[in-house]
Amino acid sequence: MTTTEWIGARAPRREDPALIRGRGRYVADINLPGTLHMAILRSPMGHASINSIDASEARTMDGVHMVITPDDIPDHITQFPVVWRLPGQKDSGIPALAEGKVRYVGEPVAAVVADSRYAAEDALDAIDVDYETLDPVTDPEAALEEGAPVINEDWGDNVAIHHVFAGYNALGECHYDAEAFDNAEVTVRGRLKIGRHSGIPLETRGIVADWDEIHGRLTVHSESQVAHLFRTELAASLGLPETAVRVLTPNMGGGFGNKWDRYPEDLLVSIASMELGRPVKWIADRREGLMSTVHGRAQVQEWEMALQSDGTILGLRGKVINDLGAHLHSVGIGPAWVTGAAAPNQYKIANYYCNVIAAATNKTPASTFRGFGGPEGIFGAERMMDKAAKRLGMDPAEIRRKNMIQPDQFPWFNAAGAVYDSGNFPACLEKALEAADYDRVRAEQKELREQGVYRGIGISSYIHVSGFGPSPILGYLSYYTGGYEGSTVKVDPNGKATVYTGMIPMGQGTETTLAQVAAHHLGIDMADVRVVWGDTDQTPYTGFGSAGSRSNVAAVAVIRAVEEIKAKAVRIGAGMLEADAEDLEYADGMVSVKGAEEMRSVSLAQVAQQAYWAHALPEGDQPFLEATYVYDPPNFTTASGCHVVVLDVDTNTGRITFRNYVIVDDCGPVINPLLVEGQIHGGVAQALGGALLEEFVYDDEGQLLTTSFMDYLLPSFTDVPDMEIHHVVTPSPHTDGGFKGMGEAGTFPPGAAVANAVTDALSHLGVEADELPITPSRLWSLIQEATR
Amino acid sequence: MHVSLTVNGQRAVTDVEPRTLLVHLLREELGLTGTHVGCDTSYCGACTVILDGKTVKSCTMLAVQAQGAEVTTIEGLAANGDLHPVQEGFWERHGLQCGFCTPGMIMSAVGLLSENGSPSEDEIRHGLEGNLCRCTGYHNIVRAVEYAAAKMRGEEPPAPEWEEASA
Amino acid sequence: MYPPVFEYQAPDTLEGALAALAELGDEGRVLAGGQSLIPMMKLRLAAPSHLVDINRIGELSYVRRENGSLCIGALARHNDVVGSAEAKASGVVSSAAPWISDPLVRNRGTVCGSVAHCDPEGDWNSVMLAARADVIAQSSAGSRSIGIDDFIVSFFTNALEPGEMVTGVCIPIPSGPSGGAYMKLERKIGDYATVGVATQLELASNGTIAQAGIGLTAVNYQNTRASAAEDLLRGETPSDELFAEAGAAAAAASDPQTDVRGDAEWKRNVVAVYTRRGLAKALASATS
Repeated sequence: MTTTEWIGARAPRREDPALIRGRGRYVADINLPGTLHMAILRSPMGHASINSIDASEARTMDGVHMVITPDDIPDHITQFPVVWRLPGQKDSGIPALAEGKVRYVGEPVAAVVADSRYAAEDALDAIDVDYETLDPVTDPEAALEEGAPVINEDWGDNVAIHHVFAGYNALGECHYDAEAFDNAEVTVRGRLKIGRHSGIPLETRGIVADWDEIHGRLTVHSESQVAHLFRTELAASLGLPETAVRVLTPNMGGGFGNKWDRYPEDLLVSIASMELGRPVKWIADRREGLMSTVHGRAQVQEWEMALQSDGTILGLRGKVINDLGAHLHSVGIGPAWVTGAAAPNQYKIANYYCNVIAAATNKTPASTFRGFGGPEGIFGAERMMDKAAKRLGMDPAEIRRKNMIQPDQFPWFNAAGAVYDSGNFPACLEKALEAADYDRVRAEQKELREQGVYRGIGISSYIHVSGFGPSPILGYLSYYTGGYEGSTVKVDPNGKATVYTGMIPMGQGTETTLAQVAAHHLGIDMADVRVVWGDTDQTPYTGFGSAGSRSNVAAVAVIRAVEEIKAKAVRIGAGMLEADAEDLEYADGMVSVKGAEEMRSVSLAQVAQQAYWAHALPEGDQPFLEATYVYDPPNFTTASGCHVVVLDVDTNTGRITFRNYVIVDDCGPVINPLLVEGQIHGGVAQALGGALLEEFVYDDEGQLLTTSFMDYLLPSFTDVPDMEIHHVVTPSPHTDGGFKGMGEAGTFPPGAAVANAVTDALSHLGVEADELPITPSRLWSLIQEATR
Repeated sequence: MHVSLTVNGQRAVTDVEPRTLLVHLLREELGLTGTHVGCDTSYCGACTVILDGKTVKSCTMLAVQAQGAEVTTIEGLAANGDLHPVQEGFWERHGLQCGFCTPGMIMSAVGLLSENGSPSEDEIRHGLEGNLCRCTGYHNIVRAVEYAAAKMRGEEPPAPEWEEASA
Repeated sequence: MYPPVFEYQAPDTLEGALAALAELGDEGRVLAGGQSLIPMMKLRLAAPSHLVDINRIGELSYVRRENGSLCIGALARHNDVVGSAEAKASGVVSSAAPWISDPLVRNRGTVCGSVAHCDPEGDWNSVMLAARADVIAQSSAGSRSIGIDDFIVSFFTNALEPGEMVTGVCIPIPSGPSGGAYMKLERKIGDYATVGVATQLELASNGTIAQAGIGLTAVNYQNTRASAAEDLLRGETPSDELFAEAGAAAAAASDPQTDVRGDAEWKRNVVAVYTRRGLAKALASATS
């Protein structure tokens, strides 16, 4: 390997030296002179009208500078909008404070700004709110019934949308055929539930707003995952020109999608800072983080699969009910839509129908969370595959083999309209089975069961449509933002490069990755590339943001900008070497005459120096050696893979013990395997949390019962197994480098893999693990029902 | 109330309300923002510091209780600029992503290795179970601590998994 | 989360602490490890007006043998018990110690603080019930020993009088062969028990059970002794069937609630399973 082959290298992360010394800088670490602190009064009820708010005592308390009630919000302030607005979708925005009624526990009702957070919290106790209880509705299916309490009166009911996928693929062909279900040799039905859980980054949300009255400028220190879009929306809601707002993003302590959305507190601190002329800071404590940061998943699914008796799938149809929470948030019903689009998964299913229904409930809004509806779709698909296999007496691996899209069938137009660009699904499956020693474990399973050890093997294959996305397609989907990614690359006069990206790193190692890509294509040392991010004043606009599946898009923007720089370097080098540009080549940071590299060449630094002196630039070229490229991908990329999990069930207590966890992942060529594997480990752990532990639990009154880590259970060291990762590499045919997104993929298959394994372990009892999380209590109850 | 304590070898004297938490004294009075607050209820360990030789959660202790104590935070771990073997292990074995849990995780690992210089994988997992990480799935943190343990014993760290796999 | 305002003092001596508590009466609250109290104050579920911090009273920091008992002072941390050779004399105590919360909390939290807290989801009081421990309560007027059954009054309520504090707990060490085990089902590490069962067995020379102790965590309004199960065991020869019967009796003594941790019926079943498994473990260590 030469020193410039950075793509594919396990380069240690450049983010780490600061972070391991405690020298990271997160938003809570920002202490501007004169900072005031905000605390938020939140609704203690699930559904109530607000008769009055009396903050008179709080306003006079020591150290209190401002109390914000709805009456204190200037009239020109508008709600944050919903970005994804599918046709027929009801309308709601994100208000700064509850307007006349509260719709979920944790909804902001008032805010206090004081000298310290301690003083602000004290003043919250002095605000008197007169609530009048309204009937709550917490079950999404009950919310859809006639006569259910209506949460958003202007909607008329609780239905945010009915969206039907009726077998129209991307070519506009309709393949839905109801009769095929009536006539099928076998049909299998399933009713599945996925609990309400979320990303829960270890760093809560937080924001510091700093209004400069003299220059009319609002500087916001935020951990928004999508800083430029955040700036656009914040400026619009505050009635400021966009240029008046600068968003700075420091280190982010995890995002997992939750920090993609806009939130009431973003408006509240800005309003307060502009009113008081001082920096105002709010950092969520964990309790308010759990009740006011968007939740996710939360679906009830009903599926029916039609098959021939040999296992060939004839069709899949069903209904997805999304427990939306109190109102639409930044991405609308987007995740549930993606569930409908992803459910055909890796299989040759043309006959497809899915009705996606989003129902408002008196709960925290559900919105962006790593995987974005994809894991839910895979859960549905892969549970149904196992149910079908069981009905037909087939091995779960065999029914998958039989129905998989084959490597020569790409591009594949799935029945919900998604286009899969590439993959080798059978290879992933076979590799995973081999790594898990599937046949041996199957054989052992029988013997162990005789000894009272209930071992199960679960398979889950997955696709992950990533690299959002072509802007025209986002437009077609009524997703009101662009899907491109821009990058500026500058080479300074001594030949070292700086990459400016609008991507916001959240821990994935974006800085390292983009430096690798730039160094590789410039043919220079990685240490000679700096990456600038986190300042909307300096970085190119990115409309879509920094979902974990975006590195591929941003990497291509870097590659294309570098290619422009190299072309210019060759033009300048032609003059310096007194040769024709056609006779020159750029390699390893040198411009050389082909065939005479030793004799006639100039370095990138020499070329750059010329570009800055501009003494003899080629005609038409301007000074400097820099380029900006905005890359709008022509298609999505399709990552895929297969997980196999082996576990034991203690039938006396319902507890699960992992025995093996094998992962095969295909995200195309890997820029940095160290980082990719880390992303997979983390994604799997997060999904195992949702499969076994994590759930936001509400009582019938809409009270949230899981408001600390005592009851909202994040997986810890002893809950997550060691993992074995293997790769299959099929490059994307349409991205430079063939990269595919991968940051979310780890979250897709674990739910189904675990549920399939548990069901497999208890097949002698006929237990079907169809509801996540599979808690010991739930599983034991299922075992009791089955043995009764 | 008056508090004087030693933090990372430096004497610190300050006045705080009795209700001030130790983590707030460190972060806000002393500007040592490497110690983080992740959960507020003593479950996540992001606020872990070493107090008189023992790892504790600094969000669940009053600042006034640290009167006269010796406190080491993440900022005090690298001696003369050289990384502590645990810090090195986290870097070498990709034991961190967003880095938010990392200072607490590293301090806990230092505490664990001070009591058990040759922990098994199981002992590492149990020894660090008071710290939560949301990014790494823990897999590489275990590898990082194994690396550090070997280094601290004066041995060659175990080969990374990817070399084992290709060997 | 930020605690409300309170007064604070940290006396250096036990006498000083007792004098402060005498003066403060109902207003005073002892701060030991603080691992339950401080989070409760941060959540503003507790708002004591005055804290008496006993962390400077070094004389209370002991784990030692005293007159045939294992005695644990008010400032002994959970981890002092985990690492204590003395504590190995009580199988149920040494078995329970590593199950308390997590390693960081164990470095700070105290055994006696947990005993005094009387949280029905706390582990130690079940252990103390199984081992038939005595709680030492002291005030400026003097000291008294309270049997654990009397000490636990109710949900978060102990038998201390105003001005009194727990200064230690003494666990009698059985003279014959004995063993104990603490079985805890927690949803994950650091969680309170969903179900906990403490068991202790003492064997007579003929191999029959001379004394049995069973304490239950998180399945009643307070930590509970499974008396009927103990009665059933006493004087009998140990067997799987006997332990299963005791498990059923222990389950009958539990009245768990359905909550976010799980269904009542499941919890009751876990009591039976864990009592059976705990007794088997206790027997194994008594006969090893």
